Amino acid sequence: MKGKMTKILALFIMVVLIGVLAACNDDSSNTNEDGEWTGKITIWDGPRWAQEGDDSGEDGEGNKYFWIEEKIEEFEAEHEGVEIELVQVPWAELPDKLGVNIAGQSWPDIAPVDISGSAVSIEHIEQGVIESVDEYFTEEELADFYDNALEAYTHEGSLYGVPNSVTVHSMLLNLDLFEEAGVTPPENGEWTWEEFVDTAEQLTFDRDGDGETDVYGFSTYILDGYYEAWPFFYMDGGQPLSDDLSEFTFDSPEAVEAIQKLADLKLEQEVAPVSMGGADVGGTFQAWADEEQRTVAMQPWATWAITSAQTAYPTNFMVANYPTGSTGEPGTIGGVGGWTMFHQEEEGKKEVVAEFIKHISNADEQYRMASEYGVFPALESAADMDPYADNPEMARAQEMSDQVINLPSHPEWKKIDEVIQRELQLVFNGEKTAEEAMADAKPEVEELLD
Amino acid sequence: MKGTNASITSNKNKGVWHSMKKNYAAYLFLLPKLTLFIVFIAIPVVWAFILSFQEYQIIGGNEWAGLSNYLSVFESEAFKKALLNTTIYTAVTVPFNVITALIAASLIHSLGRFAQGFFRAAFYLPTVASMVIIAMVWRWMYNYEFGLFNYVIGWFGFEPLNWLGQSNTALWAIIIMQMLIPFGVGIILYLASMSSISESLYEAATIDGANALQKWVKITVPMLKPSTVYLVLLSTIGSFQVFTQIILMTGGGPGYATETIVHLIYKTGFRDFEFGLAAAQSVVLFFIILVISILQYRALRHDE
Repeated sequence: MKGKMTKILALFIMVVLIGVLAACNDDSSNTNEDGEWTGKITIWDGPRWAQEGDDSGEDGEGNKYFWIEEKIEEFEAEHEGVEIELVQVPWAELPDKLGVNIAGQSWPDIAPVDISGSAVSIEHIEQGVIESVDEYFTEEELADFYDNALEAYTHEGSLYGVPNSVTVHSMLLNLDLFEEAGVTPPENGEWTWEEFVDTAEQLTFDRDGDGETDVYGFSTYILDGYYEAWPFFYMDGGQPLSDDLSEFTFDSPEAVEAIQKLADLKLEQEVAPVSMGGADVGGTFQAWADEEQRTVAMQPWATWAITSAQTAYPTNFMVANYPTGSTGEPGTIGGVGGWTMFHQEEEGKKEVVAEFIKHISNADEQYRMASEYGVFPALESAADMDPYADNPEMARAQEMSDQVINLPSHPEWKKIDEVIQRELQLVFNGEKTAEEAMADAKPEVEELLD
Repeated sequence: MKGTNASITSNKNKGVWHSMKKNYAAYLFLLPKLTLFIVFIAIPVVWAFILSFQEYQIIGGNEWAGLSNYLSVFESEAFKKALLNTTIYTAVTVPFNVITALIAASLIHSLGRFAQGFFRAAFYLPTVASMVIIAMVWRWMYNYEFGLFNYVIGWFGFEPLNWLGQSNTALWAIIIMQMLIPFGVGIILYLASMSSISESLYEAATIDGANALQKWVKITVPMLKPSTVYLVLLSTIGSFQVFTQIILMTGGGPGYATETIVHLIYKTGFRDFEFGLAAAQSVVLFFIILVISILQYRALRHDE
């Protein structure tokens, strides 16, 4: 009996051990006859666009991964022995999922993220999680990228990713509501703060005569990691941190006044709904874009909203600059998308991974992504191909690329951002003045800067 | 004497081993579950405890940090606010939910079989519904412009409220939501316990001239005490871990008005990648729940 029990136990332990070893066994890799690396590469990507006429899938929206699948197939055909596994991850889940995988040291080889802090940050670079791609680009190749695109992936002089797209925030104006209120939109989408406030006042009206306001001139939201409202805070020359990143400067008079002016659109002028400054991203967009609502005439959004207003929520709209303040210069916050390579153990594999990233980031692919997916190319040569010849709204937004102000590149930016945005929420719901809120944020931020 | 002790220990070990040999089939059946428990519960818990004394490094070994993570937890304003919010949330929702579950179960118990089945299912439904869906629906109900709540308070002449957008209403909005979702588990458990109360007790009380309320107060409520203790402990533990509603409805804001401990742990770990600090916050939460549970258990079982 004892022998039988021992055998059963031994068998169980063996099965467990085999399972554990199989789980721990990394993808095997080798070199082929030409001495090139062979093995498996893992790439994560989010849904992009479906081929025209493709209505497959449960939601009938088609296969939005076909582009990357096509690129993988091409690359595998050219590189015998290299297998690329695509992991499909919805965009909204990507930062959290990547965070969990980084914590478990089971990151993919490639992921479509920037290093600004939404999914990975400068801290990850400093801990060696992100690989530099300097050695895979010539001076000539680098010169083709827009400066701000390269800057967004550069840390201490090294490049930690390959930019493939640029986005900007811009003001989106619902022209039907302008027409209903008899208001003329700004010429060429250029205006001063005073003209903007005047327009917002005219666009705030009672549609059905019941004494209640039905349509508001303006709205936006305040939430960690989102910057639609921030270009307003820069318009009089304010900025969150000093240039050398050593000091909190959002408590300067020019920043405080700009923050208060925007909050007062709701609190004083009442040209914005009470929900302005809340954390409801979807609800804010619906108020501008949803045909059944359309209760707000002007909102600032990132580039994706232009595509959305042209497709999912067909809207008669125009793109405008953020209004100018005392600096006289329009500004906007931009974002740069691209591919990041995660920590590699083998030099051979690193080379193949870099080659694949270049394969999916060249000028032709960036042009295709710009014209199909609604982002701006990060390569000048791709922009020269004029991807928005038939899309005046996107072309207008692209003009704003040279107004982009980059957010501070600080390792603790995510925490600093949270402190500031939490205080901003209190300004926008009228619990604190901008001056009080930024004075309260200062010690917390400066502790993080030390 | 030393020899005698050693001999007792040895005999005990022999006894345990003998018992294991005798019941080997039972142990064998327990082994898969025990393995899963060790791998997925015991090891992570021990690891989290060790991690709370370390500074986490993604690549390379973690560095020992002594008590610095714990000091950071107790010095953190965000943690203090989160602890206060979580305590208020628990102190209001737990008693309310347990008492309403008791009342609802008492009312359902007196109904006919079909009606009992219907109400059991109806009140248990929110328990099986995803909190994500419930939170989305409630976010819509709290909407300033077209939400149900502002529509209703409008009938009574009140001005609309920015329920989730104001510091003084946001936490209460989340609390109200939790209070208005029926405590399905509590109702089912109370109904099951009520069925096991001997009818003879009620008959005796009726002979003594007790009315329905007196019978409920003097017989039903005391007889349900073990269930009450269990439900209070269960819902206190659950309330201290409130997370889904927060991340979906307010993100902890405005300001830190709805920040809760588990939401803070999540941010510290998966946003800031400070797993040592997040582990220390988790250990502190564990001890808070442990102490409160012991106190509640002792208080509620006091007279038994």
